[in-house]
Amino acid sequence: LGAGESRLTLEVATPEPAAPAPRRRRLNLATPALLGLPVSWLAVFFLAPVAIVAAYSVDVLVLFPGPHGFTFAAWRSLFSGSTPYLHLFAKSIEMSLTVSAVVVVVAYPLAYFLALSGTKRKYILLLVLIAPFLTSYLLRVLAWKVILGDQGVVNTFLFWTGLRSPEHPLSFLLYSRFAVMLVLGYVWLPFVALPIFVTLDTLDRGLLEAASDLYASRLQAFVRVTLPLSAPGVVAAFLFVFIPTVGEFVTPSLVGGTGGYMYGNQIVDLFGAGFPDWETGSVLALFLLAVIAILTVVFVRFLRAGEARVA
Amino acid sequence: MDVALSRNGRRIMRVFFAIVIVFLYAPIAVLLVFSFNRSPVPVFPLTGFTLRWYRDFLTNTEIRGALETSAIVAALASVGSVALGVLAAIALTRHRFRGQLGVTALLLSPLVIPLVVLGISLLLLFHELGIQPSILAVTIGEIVIVLPYTILVIMPRLQQIDASLAEAAQDLGAGPLTTFRRVTLPLILPAVVSAYLIAFTTSFDEYAVASFLVGSRQTFPVYLYSALRFPSRLPQVIAVAVVVLLVTLVVIVAIELWRRRAEARLEAA
Repeated sequence: LGAGESRLTLEVATPEPAAPAPRRRRLNLATPALLGLPVSWLAVFFLAPVAIVAAYSVDVLVLFPGPHGFTFAAWRSLFSGSTPYLHLFAKSIEMSLTVSAVVVVVAYPLAYFLALSGTKRKYILLLVLIAPFLTSYLLRVLAWKVILGDQGVVNTFLFWTGLRSPEHPLSFLLYSRFAVMLVLGYVWLPFVALPIFVTLDTLDRGLLEAASDLYASRLQAFVRVTLPLSAPGVVAAFLFVFIPTVGEFVTPSLVGGTGGYMYGNQIVDLFGAGFPDWETGSVLALFLLAVIAILTVVFVRFLRAGEARVA
Repeated sequence: MDVALSRNGRRIMRVFFAIVIVFLYAPIAVLLVFSFNRSPVPVFPLTGFTLRWYRDFLTNTEIRGALETSAIVAALASVGSVALGVLAAIALTRHRFRGQLGVTALLLSPLVIPLVVLGISLLLLFHELGIQPSILAVTIGEIVIVLPYTILVIMPRLQQIDASLAEAAQDLGAGPLTTFRRVTLPLILPAVVSAYLIAFTTSFDEYAVASFLVGSRQTFPVYLYSALRFPSRLPQVIAVAVVVLLVTLVVIVAIELWRRRAEARLEAA
């Protein structure tokens, strides 16, 4: 299932132990020869750029020539609270958390239905569910712009039917925090069902039958067996939405207005043409990266711990 | 008795599933409807059927140029990332080496990096190196983004096939390149094609990182984004959007079905 399925294997599936190297190896391609190119590609175009951002964040590299030297000034001002950035970060976290939670709650029953209802067409239905995720991101955002605007589909439909007068459109629909959250939820919903589906689909139905033999009701079986066993998928799904949305800037810049302005927009603006401040922008970017790196590490640990318990 | 769902539960969930599918496809349908609407603004009521917007975009050189640029970027980025991805996937599945965990983490890390951070990082790198924003810069960034996808699509397939087949070929005197070309590649081909198309469609469509790195030649998503600010261009943009969207949808579904069938056939053989 493309990007979705593949991304999933990263977190949900155990990284399979590599096959032991064949002992009677003749002209085998050596590991360094295989890994040289991909690893150096990421070293040059991923690690080095991040190091440069770090250099900018402590003023070792600067945009405008002039006296400069190593300083943590921009870092200090981020944490001192004298700048609005932490507040904006908190707002973005809050928006992303809400979107992730809602989307996971909606996706869970979808995944449950596909995995456990015994429908024969589950892979076809799964593909139908996920297909929109694989189409253009911008176009799906564009669709909502057309739908939600003051002259958009919803409002003109309301005028047309006389439910609302043209002088008073529902203007909170577009260019608001609501619009950003709706569109982000819409964009990520299909994808989120996937990790939950995988954990439920691989669930041993015998466990549910055992629960039922022991006189557990369906609800009890769900709460005591299914839900705990699908927890890794749920957490993965949650993070799969949370991680990309917390640094989001495209959707808020298209449908957010001022109310939906997010942390990612702030970073972009600091590197923009108006009043560039690469030092502060680098600090904000690295801070975001650090938070997400920590979250990812904690999550991978959580999965490992879960596997260890099962084993 | 079904242990997972009661009859009513199943019915309710089927309805819920249908509602969500409608919610997911309705906005796409709205774009489709308005792309045939005569009025230049996308508002109700509909004013009549026209193909004008489709004709307009076919003659619009700006749009065609942007589509071409994106096609070039996607073609280069997908070939590059699949080549790197095959190398990395073989190393990670067939070899065991020191620091494997760290290398795996590095190779997959672009999956979780916020695109805004990757975009500005590359912007600063190219700024330091004195490289102008260009198609090449965009392509480099896209390869970073899609490389983990290609690895993750190819790796499970490599794990499925029997490593002893490649060993047998080498025992019979085939060199590593011959072994790859004659044994490994044919077996993993469905996954490689699948990875290639994922890489192609993803990099064709990618806006966030590209927006920091494009030069004078805009890619399609960058053009689309800028066109969204001019209401007069909206109908044409919607028309081209619909075409691109339907093409990707058809390609993705077709390839996925083909991959399943091809892998099943390889299993049977």
